[in-house]
Amino acid sequence: MTQMEDQEKQLEFALASVQKQGVHMKMCLDKNKLMEALKHASAMLAELRTSLLSPKSYYELFMKVTNELCYLDFYLVEEFERGRKVDDLYQIIQYAGNIVPRLYLLITVGLVYIKTNTNLKRDLLKDLVEMCRGVQHPLRGLFLRHYLLQCSKNVLPDIPDNEETEHPEGTVRDSIDFILMNFAEMNKLWVRMQHQGHSREKERREKEREELKILVGTNLVRLSHLDSITLDKYRKVVLPGILEQIVSCRDAIAQEYLMECIIQVFPDEFHLYTLNVFLKSCCELQPSVNVKTIVILMINRLTIFTFHNSNASEVKLFEVLTEQIANIIQSRDLPLEDTVSLQAAMVGLALKCYPDNLDYVDKSLQTISDTFAKRKIEKISHKNPVSRELMALMKLPIDNYNDLLLVMKLKHFPEIIEYFDYTGRKTIAIYLLQNAVQCRTMIPSVEQTEIVLTMVSPLVKDQPDQPVGEEDPEDFAEEQSLLGRFVHHMKADEPDLQFKILMAEREHFSLGGNKRICYTLPPLVFQAYQLALIYSGKRKEDELWEKKCRKIFQFCHQTILELTKAELAELPLRLFLQGALTISQINFKNYETVAYEFYSQAFTLYEEEISESKCQLAAIILLIGTFEKINCFDEENAEPVRTQCALAASKLLKKPDQCRAVAISSHLFWSAQNNVGQPLQDGKRVMDCLKKCVRITKQCMEVSVQVQLFVELLNYYVYFYERGNNNVSVDILNQLIGQIKKEITGLTANEETEQITKHFENTIAYLQNRIESADTEDSVFKALEGLTL
Amino acid sequence: MTFFGLGQTAELEIILDRPDGKKKLDESSKKDQSLIYYDGETVSGRVNVILKKSSSRLEHQGIKVEFIGQIEMYYDRGNHHEFTSLVKELARPGEMLQNTSYNFEFLNVEKPYETYTGSNVRLRYFLRVTVIRRIYDIVKEMDIIVHTLSSYPDMNNSIKMEVGIEDCLHIEFEYNKCKYHLKDVIVGKIYFLLVRIKIKHMEIAIIKRETTGSGPNTFNENETIAKYEIMDGAPVRGESIPIRVFLAGYDLTPTMRDVNKRFSVRYFLNLVLMDEEDRRYFKQQEITLWRKGEKHLKGMQNRNEPSHLVSGKDGPKGSEAPRTTTQSVQPSGSLDNTDSENDHNHSPMNEGDDEQIRSSIEDSTSE
Repeated sequence: MTQMEDQEKQLEFALASVQKQGVHMKMCLDKNKLMEALKHASAMLAELRTSLLSPKSYYELFMKVTNELCYLDFYLVEEFERGRKVDDLYQIIQYAGNIVPRLYLLITVGLVYIKTNTNLKRDLLKDLVEMCRGVQHPLRGLFLRHYLLQCSKNVLPDIPDNEETEHPEGTVRDSIDFILMNFAEMNKLWVRMQHQGHSREKERREKEREELKILVGTNLVRLSHLDSITLDKYRKVVLPGILEQIVSCRDAIAQEYLMECIIQVFPDEFHLYTLNVFLKSCCELQPSVNVKTIVILMINRLTIFTFHNSNASEVKLFEVLTEQIANIIQSRDLPLEDTVSLQAAMVGLALKCYPDNLDYVDKSLQTISDTFAKRKIEKISHKNPVSRELMALMKLPIDNYNDLLLVMKLKHFPEIIEYFDYTGRKTIAIYLLQNAVQCRTMIPSVEQTEIVLTMVSPLVKDQPDQPVGEEDPEDFAEEQSLLGRFVHHMKADEPDLQFKILMAEREHFSLGGNKRICYTLPPLVFQAYQLALIYSGKRKEDELWEKKCRKIFQFCHQTILELTKAELAELPLRLFLQGALTISQINFKNYETVAYEFYSQAFTLYEEEISESKCQLAAIILLIGTFEKINCFDEENAEPVRTQCALAASKLLKKPDQCRAVAISSHLFWSAQNNVGQPLQDGKRVMDCLKKCVRITKQCMEVSVQVQLFVELLNYYVYFYERGNNNVSVDILNQLIGQIKKEITGLTANEETEQITKHFENTIAYLQNRIESADTEDSVFKALEGLTL
Repeated sequence: MTFFGLGQTAELEIILDRPDGKKKLDESSKKDQSLIYYDGETVSGRVNVILKKSSSRLEHQGIKVEFIGQIEMYYDRGNHHEFTSLVKELARPGEMLQNTSYNFEFLNVEKPYETYTGSNVRLRYFLRVTVIRRIYDIVKEMDIIVHTLSSYPDMNNSIKMEVGIEDCLHIEFEYNKCKYHLKDVIVGKIYFLLVRIKIKHMEIAIIKRETTGSGPNTFNENETIAKYEIMDGAPVRGESIPIRVFLAGYDLTPTMRDVNKRFSVRYFLNLVLMDEEDRRYFKQQEITLWRKGEKHLKGMQNRNEPSHLVSGKDGPKGSEAPRTTTQSVQPSGSLDNTDSENDHNHSPMNEGDDEQIRSSIEDSTSE
């Protein structure tokens, strides 16, 4: 038979016997045969003398037995209340020869006396709790005392003890003594279990003890339910009583559980005023007790309490805790991670309850810093539990303040960051920046910029302790993008200051190496352009504005060139173009020259650095588009650029690319403005461009491409026709439409050609629509009536 | 019994007076219910002679009533030792024509011993009425119960003793008195000074020792009157276990020492500890039992309220540590030596049922 089956069998037998005796007992009670009933009760209770059951099974048996005993209790209470008291009943049941049944009966009957004559309360409670000493067997003793506690639940005296008046029914002091004694005895029994039996069964014993702990803890719960326990009484009697037992039992399992119990069951207000005593006891616990968990639990409770109760502030909570924690750390050889997590709890307390007092948080950070220094710790690996705890601590002020500027006010914060290894520092850096970005925190000064960029240095530049090997490119891109976003958060209201910030930033970012600057410098350049616009807006207030703008663009020029040195082309090209655009909007002295420099830099990059045809197409379109918007150049500068653009467009490698780029360049001769703001509207040169396009298209080998380009060109023609380019005639359009119609029928049907056809049909439909709805005044479309659509 | 069924015969009836409402002894187990008398009390009453045949007369050689106290040894049947014998003559020889009653009175009769029924000996008091006749006498006997009352003992010290087995078990026990009345309560405690054995449980047994005969023919009969478990499980050093035993529930008699040089009845408390290997360790201690006057007992206690509680002055003091164990230590090596000054003994404990003392006394300073 397995052990389990054996247990079940034993329990089954015992339960059956209890059932049988219980029935007999009830029958006798119903017939008013009390003595007979007591005999059956005693026989029933004798089942609880067993040593064969596990705590679980014994509990089941106990429940069954005590349930049956209720009937006896009801019967006796009713009899007593009717005045039918049984002479010497308390004595009679003590004739039972075996102690376990005797004491269960004694408790049952004792409580009947108490319920029917409250004057006996004090003496009987004392009697019961003392007599229970006779059961020294841990399991049986624990349950017997549990029964006592359970039965006495509703009768414990709960009136304040006043020395002037006598209370025969007892006062709260009697209840305290009663429970404290029961608690002490139960704890001793519980601890004793640990030392019984073979050492190889240690694990099983500890499991059994775990199952029974609630029985011991219930004593404390009962104490906490006594309303007459005042703070004073708790401090002078209850807590010292409990702590004395906990410390003296020298059992780690009991100490850990019971200390937590105290924290859980008693009101936080009591804890607040007895903190010193409680924490002093923590120093005296067994070395294997996890004191950290206990203290942190306490701190967290008090944190919430203090947060919700402003009147709690009369206790110098933070100071008291700091002192006591220092004692604990000194008296117990706490692991470093525990020291750190204790401080983390303190930081949590400070943040929640004393949000205005940054010094508190700083003090905790300093304590950690000092501890590290004392233990000669230089770097903490992110795999080390200390790092994990410390990380949690560091995130607390970040999350609580939601203000990077406040975090930076913590003097010891950057100092602690330095203890982390590369991974740890990077994690913090990311966390800091994410928070700042989310909370839209602005960094308004050069000094703060310097501090922040130092704190997030693992993102800004390579670190000496950085592990060799490739980083995940996606992660890297994400981190750097975050930093890029953060650039927009370093911003002063005052433009001069802002410029200094930008310079400071560039100094840091320049150290980032090629892989980083493509993320960090562009936003910087954009920031600079914006600053220039601000100066432009303040031209009436600041007479030096032109000089400053020039300086800014110099700064930008330099910065962009740094990117080109990093063998980047498209990015600096775009930045130069953006710069040229910005400059053209700000009319400062010599701005044309500066803009031309930017534009020519871009063009040079196009010519020298961009070789792939797709990129070339994109770049030339950008160049053309930008130039179309710039209107600061005089004709002397503008004309060669236009020609260069058109030329460059026609020099593209692929015919369709050529066609499209040249078509776009046509805008340079129409809508582009000269330096006095007049659009060029050179219809002939537009036509030259488009004709060139038609020529190029005809050279295309593939019919579908040809048709596609023709349709696009048709749109160009229509566009310029509408804009009033006289050189576009109905003939030209008809010619083109005819050409398309001829070719389009030969196309094999597929998705692509369908799209082309649709594009053509839409264009035709548009024209038709315009012609039909054209009235006399809209002569432009009237003239198109000759179109063969 | 009549001889040939002829002649007159009579039935005798003894009716005792109940001057001060003497109680009947309620002994439901025994058929006859006898009256209780105390030493020096007058035993008086009436003898009724009831004639069986109303028409004929009863001739007799005289009628007498005797008051007898005697000790009977079961092994020596027929040889009864009368320690008291008083005779009163009720009628001179003559004839009786009708039912007749005679009053009698034994004035302030001395009753030195208590009625006792043991396993080897019986002490009884009875009245015997004899109608003396030529061929056979008509005899009627009637038992009375005598209780000897004692006054409250002058000296009634507690029994306190430190006992042990070297390096194994060391306890101190205390019984609140050495003399208990029959309805009394033994209150005490056991304090564990050293425990190196795994104790399973502990009990107190009340043992009655009846000693009969003398010299080489002395015969001891031990009877366990009660076994009372006072502890379950194994205590550790420093534990203190309360004792509270109500005596009223047991069939006890007063201690009787050397009753008429014929027998003695003595009582012992036996403290027994049983270990997990079922070895027994015990210490016997004699106590004196005495009978207290009923009147005293009455009204002293509200029977609806528990008595002898821990908190009361008569109750056990479970949680207290021993007074001072070092104060009255005996020099080591001296066995079973009583320190009469404070009744604090220091003696070895017996191990095993019939085993003799195995270990010598432990000096408690060595603990």
